[in-house]
Amino acid sequence: MIKPNIQIDDAVREMTDDEYNALLASGWTETASDDLAG
Amino acid sequence: MADQVFTSGQILTAAQMTALQANSGLVYIKTQTIGSAVSTVNVTSAFSATFDAYKIVVTGGTPSANGNMRLVLGASVTGYYAARNGITWSTGLRSDGVDNNAAIWAAVGTAQTNGLAAEITIINPGLAKYTTIAGAYNNDTASVVYSGTHQVATAYTDFTLSPSSGTWTGGTVIVYGYRLS
Repeated sequence: MIKPNIQIDDAVREMTDDEYNALLASGWTETASDDLAG
Repeated sequence: MADQVFTSGQILTAAQMTALQANSGLVYIKTQTIGSAVSTVNVTSAFSATFDAYKIVVTGGTPSANGNMRLVLGASVTGYYAARNGITWSTGLRSDGVDNNAAIWAAVGTAQTNGLAAEITIINPGLAKYTTIAGAYNNDTASVVYSGTHQVATAYTDFTLSPSSGTWTGGTVIVYGYRLS
């Protein structure tokens, strides 16, 4: 799949594999979450 | 100082303008426009020792999925604590959440497909002290209030916002500082 982008100030690029793995490890999901209060 | 009184057509002096500026409460620091299909937005040069307290306001944009807006300070991935108390409007039922020495503040605002919304008050992020955070948000069905702390006594200059789900396209992050004097 195409990895999401990372933005640092005005620079936007596709995440590296390491950045994407870190995002997944943070609990991020691709689809919607209905967890109101996290 | 006390509010100045101006008259119609008056030419204002530098001293009057300086006093007017010094009397302002919130000082604009920067705006960050969110790019396309991003899952993290790092805002640099937001905090410093100039201010103790800040307001971060996030508006607009088009999230790809409903979820919460998350926040980390600098590159710190430990020491985040918070409690969130939510109430669903239709039922009155509570939905609470906590961060207990977590790697991220898991919800400081909302990301609904109709837009982003956050109004975050954050104290001491630019000082080598514990940082505190507080705010409120709502999704499409409920309201949430929260407060918390980051128990790492380090000064940060930047922060990163990210969705709990999906990506964001567009929207604006504005940072203000609370003038000390």
